[in-house]
Amino acid sequence: MHYRTRESLSGYLSLLPAFLALGAIVFYPMVNTFYHSFTKWNGADSHWIGLRNYRFIFSNGELWTLLRNNAVFLLSIPGILLLSLVVSVLLFEEVRGWRFFRSLYYIPTILSSVVVGMLMKMMFAPSGVVNEMLRALGLTDGTTEWLSRAPTAFLVLIFCFYWQTLGQGALIFLSGLSSISPEIYESASLDGAGWWQRLFRITMPSLVPTIVYFTVTNAIYCFIGLFSLVYAVTQGGPGRETTPIDYMIYIKAFQSPDQLGYASALSIVLFVIVLLASWAQIRWSRRYQE
Amino acid sequence: MAKRKSLPVRLVVYLVLVAIAVVDFYPVVYMAVNSSRTAVDFFRDPGGLPAPWYFDNFKALYYRFDVLRLFGNTLGDTAAAFALAMALSIPASFAFAKIRFRYRSGLYMTVIATMTIPGITFVVPNFLLMSRLGLVDHPASVVIMWAVTSVPSNIFLLVALMRGIPDEILEAAKVDGISYVQTVARIVLPLSVPGIVTLAIFNTTGWWNDLFTPLIFLQSDEWKTMTVAVATILKRFDTDYPLLLAGLFMTSVPPMLIYVALQKYIKRGLVIGSVK
Repeated sequence: MHYRTRESLSGYLSLLPAFLALGAIVFYPMVNTFYHSFTKWNGADSHWIGLRNYRFIFSNGELWTLLRNNAVFLLSIPGILLLSLVVSVLLFEEVRGWRFFRSLYYIPTILSSVVVGMLMKMMFAPSGVVNEMLRALGLTDGTTEWLSRAPTAFLVLIFCFYWQTLGQGALIFLSGLSSISPEIYESASLDGAGWWQRLFRITMPSLVPTIVYFTVTNAIYCFIGLFSLVYAVTQGGPGRETTPIDYMIYIKAFQSPDQLGYASALSIVLFVIVLLASWAQIRWSRRYQE
Repeated sequence: MAKRKSLPVRLVVYLVLVAIAVVDFYPVVYMAVNSSRTAVDFFRDPGGLPAPWYFDNFKALYYRFDVLRLFGNTLGDTAAAFALAMALSIPASFAFAKIRFRYRSGLYMTVIATMTIPGITFVVPNFLLMSRLGLVDHPASVVIMWAVTSVPSNIFLLVALMRGIPDEILEAAKVDGISYVQTVARIVLPLSVPGIVTLAIFNTTGWWNDLFTPLIFLQSDEWKTMTVAVATILKRFDTDYPLLLAGLFMTSVPPMLIYVALQKYIKRGLVIGSVK
């Protein structure tokens, strides 16, 4: 056999197992979901109903509640971005023990969302420790029912999200900071630039790619990563007030009879949203690399 | 940045860092401390210390909830899934990094694009497939789902690392007539060990903490993983907070130990992709 052909052949053969597996578990099921999004489906029998699922999603108002819930999490990203930036800029000053702080901040990031959610649910319970502290500080009367109203339930969920993300943010921004060359700072200091000037003229602009990366990965997380947290804390309640899209797909697919076609259509909507976010990430990261 | 700082500034910096650290670490301490109390003691004073320290919650987890079996299930599933994931990812990564063939970059882009597909969007057909194969409520379904869905990101990281293997070594192997399988086993694999360790940490802690896949594919208590058991079985006892906290604490110990022991690998894995 010709040498080149043999090399190509070994290349294709190396890819074969991975592509067969991805074909069976990802590509084919994805096509299958797309097809069934146009049907009424109970898992065994399906019949074609055209765009009815999609029309229902966009017209009965449910999608907008779900998107609003995802949007609440999206709008909380700037807060954790700012917090992570402050922490890493402070740690980068190399105060004594900065490694210790970095490790400490990272611990919640390695806990399961289930653990985080259930732990916070207990701490925010009506007779829990958070209410007790707030009463001791005289801020509330200590009887807040955090999870029975949507705004406070969102606060608890967002607190969980922040708690899980701070360590990751600090770590990412610290390595972003350490890739800025020290000479730039030295020459800026020689030119008489103060701390704040260096922060806004040098540090922040050099961190922009890292900021974009952090924002987009967490934006995608807000669409596909919240399932465990919502399952553990609110189960989407009260009502559907804290149900994001991915949790709704789970409810429709696994807890409601005969709704698999509807769940498929909702899956396709989610897929398109995540696709757009990923596309934006690629566009932006290209622009900032220049 | 500047290392010469006045004392008041340093104090403020410390104060902010310590305040965040307290809020950040208090829940973990709360979980550890309150897992060693009786329920009565806990409800008398939810923010206080145990009086006396009481370790029967862990005994109850051992005798009534068979924690060892849950740990064993989780460990077995993650180990099998990682072995399968590597068997699929390593040859493919080697091909993408070092072998020349047509459509290589197109196929590579296909794999990378697959990373963006949310798992929940194709779970229903997979559930039906597994139930047709009789694998629902059998660990094989979870192992297959975990392993295959992790393949694209594993390939992404391994390709980046394997591109760094010097071509001269592979050329020399070719000249010596060493077979393809031996090249992968004797040269590529040993040189990729640091990357494989990083992937092992990320995949196994991710799977250890995963709720979604085992929640859907495993139903009987006998096969459940630790995380799912906490979210479903232990949750039925949600009036006994200290018992629940003991369960949460035991679930969290393995990932925390892995983190403490293997910190430097975690940092490398997280940073790849974020900073060029």
